[in-house]
Amino acid sequence: MGVGFVVGVLGVLILSHAAYSTIQYRAMLKITEEEFSGPPINVVVELIAGLMLCMWAALTVPGKFLSILSHSDENRVVALPENLDFMIFNHRGKAIPMGIDAKLK
Amino acid sequence: MVSKTEEEQVNRLESQVENGGGGAWEYLCLVRKLKLRRSDKVLKFGLSILNDPKKRSALGPEEWTLYEEVAVAAMDCQCLDVAKEFTKVLQKKFPGSKRVGRLEAMLLEAKGSWAEAEKAYMSLLEDNPLDQIVHKRRAAMAKAQGNIPLAIESLNKYLEIFMADQDAWRELAEIYVSLQMYKQAAFCYEELILSQPTIPLFHLSYADVLYTLGGLENLQTAKKYYASTIDLTGGKNTRALFGICLCTAAIGQLTKGRNKEDKENSQLQSLSAVALEKDYKQRNQSKHSLLTATLKSLKLS
Repeated sequence: MGVGFVVGVLGVLILSHAAYSTIQYRAMLKITEEEFSGPPINVVVELIAGLMLCMWAALTVPGKFLSILSHSDENRVVALPENLDFMIFNHRGKAIPMGIDAKLK
Repeated sequence: MVSKTEEEQVNRLESQVENGGGGAWEYLCLVRKLKLRRSDKVLKFGLSILNDPKKRSALGPEEWTLYEEVAVAAMDCQCLDVAKEFTKVLQKKFPGSKRVGRLEAMLLEAKGSWAEAEKAYMSLLEDNPLDQIVHKRRAAMAKAQGNIPLAIESLNKYLEIFMADQDAWRELAEIYVSLQMYKQAAFCYEELILSQPTIPLFHLSYADVLYTLGGLENLQTAKKYYASTIDLTGGKNTRALFGICLCTAAIGQLTKGRNKEDKENSQLQSLSAVALEKDYKQRNQSKHSLLTATLKSLKLS
């Protein structure tokens, strides 16, 4: 959890640094009055690195993914809840003694 | 609906508490959430918590829910004095409460004094004529006394008012099946499937009832519902796999004289047979030979 979090923060920092560099690059281009065709190569590389780091952190930090298919082996319905509203006490369990002590208070 | 992971979790917690590890309170909460009926364990673990004043005060306001849960479990295990004491404690804490009134009436039921319990339920109904649980308890009491026609009548009247109550439909379906009134039971299961189509066990029971009714149309519909059960459980429901094999065999016998169209019927049956054999080989090697013999006899007939 700690490592993933740190990596995520690092990725966000790299992305914001890339954004800042692009803004500075555009400002410099405005001074020299050239067209802004795209960010320079190093900014693109920085963007891709930041993307990779953030993606890795986003997948690692939340933890184990749960299965969502309703017929997967973990989620399949094996039993219905007992109908407790209609529970009757008039069953054969009456004849079986429970080896339990009475309640103390 | 109890999923496989939840069932494993409950069983694991049960064995853990049984062997002396902690977690009794989690077990009791899980049993209450999943609505399981494991009264002996609930009684034992609940008593161990409630008899210990330290653990009891650690629960805070949840203590009263635990009292209620253990009281019902005590009634189920026929430890009526324990149940009576707990009801008295609850009565002292919440005087004039409907919930405690219901508990007291259930205690009378468990004791076997049907007339007094009936009187208690009628008085509860006077205050609130639309109390669902009291209506259901009256039907359950009729069933417990063996008066099944009265139980059916009261359940039908209840369902006329509260048509969306799944538990009541289930109970009515089971009563009809016990009386072999399969057409009515099929109707109840249809209602259940309509309201909750993603629960495979309703499809399975419906298919069972249709298969029991017999007749070519019912058998074909039953086969479809067994197939949908297999779909919804990811192929792990052994009963549905058997159902497919038996349905195909029965249909084959009924349509012996007519022209045999080779649809995908044979594929469905052979696939389910293969799945069954794999399952038995994995889980119960000793019965595997029995299974192969049975399947062979089915394929021939």
